Amino acid sequence: MDASGRDVVRLVPVGVRGADKGWGLRGFSLDRAFPAVAVLPTFVVMLCIFGIPLLFSLYLSFTGWALDQALMGGRFVGLANYEDLLNDPAFVGSLGITFGYTAAAVAAQMALGLAIALLLNIDLPYMRVLRTALVVPMMITPIVGALCWKLLLEPSLGFFNYLIGQKIVWLGMPATALASVWVVSVWQSTPYVALILLAGLRSLPTEPLEAAAIDGASRRQSFWHITLPLLRPYLLVALLLRVIFEFRAFDNIYALTGGGPANATMVLSMFTYLTSFVRFDFSLGAAASWIMLLISMITCLFFIATIRRRDTY
Amino acid sequence: MAAVVGSRRMRRLQAGLVYAVLTALAAIFLFPLFWVFGLSLKTRLQVFADPPLFIWWPTLENYVDVLSRSDFLLAFVNTLVVAGSAVTLSLCVGVPAAYAFARFPFTGRSFLFFALLVMRMLPPIAVLVPMYVLFSKLGLATTRLSVVLAYATFALPLVVWIMRGFFEDLPKELEESAWIDGAGRYRAFVHIVLPLAKPGMVAAGILCLQLAWNDFLFAAVLTNNATQTLPVKMMSFSAGDSGVDWGGLTASGMLVILPVIIFSFAAQRHLVAGLSSGAVKG
Repeated sequence: MDASGRDVVRLVPVGVRGADKGWGLRGFSLDRAFPAVAVLPTFVVMLCIFGIPLLFSLYLSFTGWALDQALMGGRFVGLANYEDLLNDPAFVGSLGITFGYTAAAVAAQMALGLAIALLLNIDLPYMRVLRTALVVPMMITPIVGALCWKLLLEPSLGFFNYLIGQKIVWLGMPATALASVWVVSVWQSTPYVALILLAGLRSLPTEPLEAAAIDGASRRQSFWHITLPLLRPYLLVALLLRVIFEFRAFDNIYALTGGGPANATMVLSMFTYLTSFVRFDFSLGAAASWIMLLISMITCLFFIATIRRRDTY
Repeated sequence: MAAVVGSRRMRRLQAGLVYAVLTALAAIFLFPLFWVFGLSLKTRLQVFADPPLFIWWPTLENYVDVLSRSDFLLAFVNTLVVAGSAVTLSLCVGVPAAYAFARFPFTGRSFLFFALLVMRMLPPIAVLVPMYVLFSKLGLATTRLSVVLAYATFALPLVVWIMRGFFEDLPKELEESAWIDGAGRYRAFVHIVLPLAKPGMVAAGILCLQLAWNDFLFAAVLTNNATQTLPVKMMSFSAGDSGVDWGGLTASGMLVILPVIIFSFAAQRHLVAGLSSGAVKG
């Protein structure tokens, strides 16, 4: 990034004086170190709050360790923690629930989000107001949003049971509890998908659609064969982000069900939370969180590879 | 932008249909909030009315109760301090790094950038487990500092991602002319680049502030009664000694989201940029 080859003719803005003599040679070498100096604080912070904790948790996951022991005083147990997890029906169940829940929630969010984005993209007056209203569930504090739903679903006082005239304990039965959590996540995150896709629709070139219209393509044809393929990068980004964020789902489930009833909504985050901070088994919690970490990293790499491949081609 | 096509009558019909569908969706999306806002304006007796009351004389007593509680105000101050510090820390540390990422090739650049991506994508619980252990051994557990550091795990990558994109879009000529005139990298950064980067920093700051404000998991684990944040305080109303405190729960819930709604609208045009940051740029 050396500028010396270019003829830049521009006045120096006020506030920048020319080089004073004292800066001299030392300034030159310091100047070359600029990128390193600029990145160093970020590197140090990342190391402290991200690198060291993760390495420590990897260490914990291979030991039997309790909070009253010295930091590195755990006894090495090899893969025993991981074996325990894979033999624990609650953990294996929570793997399945997490995958199923993530897939179902993301699929619904993507479909509904695309529909909303297409509608909001139609050029009509007052669309701004509607867009603003539709985006609210995404903006508000997730735990408050979940709480609102919990009150709506309340067996004796909730609005839903009043509406259908029954006293169903929505969050107390396995099937309806998982479905309720799913509905809340669709409510909360569909706007997120809609906003990303709306931005994508707005940035699409209009020429291909016009050309197709001139050639007599129907609206359905131009949607399937032009709009959707052009929107693909945005769809992929929305998909990646939703998969990553649903995979770590915690707040909604904590507020609505706490993982129950009978582990029906026990997603991996909830399992890890309960193992670590309720049962205080940090070694097992560390092993569970490393399994989560590996799954999200693999997912991430897979998506990045997909996106990159499309770009170069 | 798609236009409504067809004959005039068809167009009207289609427009009406679009409005009807979107308005219905908006009503469904907003209903839970309105319902709980309604509950927060009811007395305890009115909350327990069966069937629910749809017309009543609204009362502000729940809000008065919540706002006169010193622990609620303490939680409000805690949230402000913790979220504000996390955002400030992330901006101070992350902005120079983002500038370096955008402008200079250096060894380890792609590795660091990938690490930031992982940091943004990893499940928060995975970093919280070892963080809690390390913090308790260092005597930092339940301090505000521990929450600030925990929030930096999501705020820092977000700042670097947003600001890197911002710096890449800035024209290079201004800095380059300053370099030629002998200003040096540091001085050009402080006097020329930073003032230009202000809008980006405001956007990144607001987005991080919102994420920090909305956090529940980190604060729930890393705080105690003296240091807890608003979302944690709000949840404690649902687990009191005398059962659920409906008035306190609903009123505090509404008070927690009020600032978020205000600053979301302040940052609306930056929202999408922030949402898709962390995604791979083409």
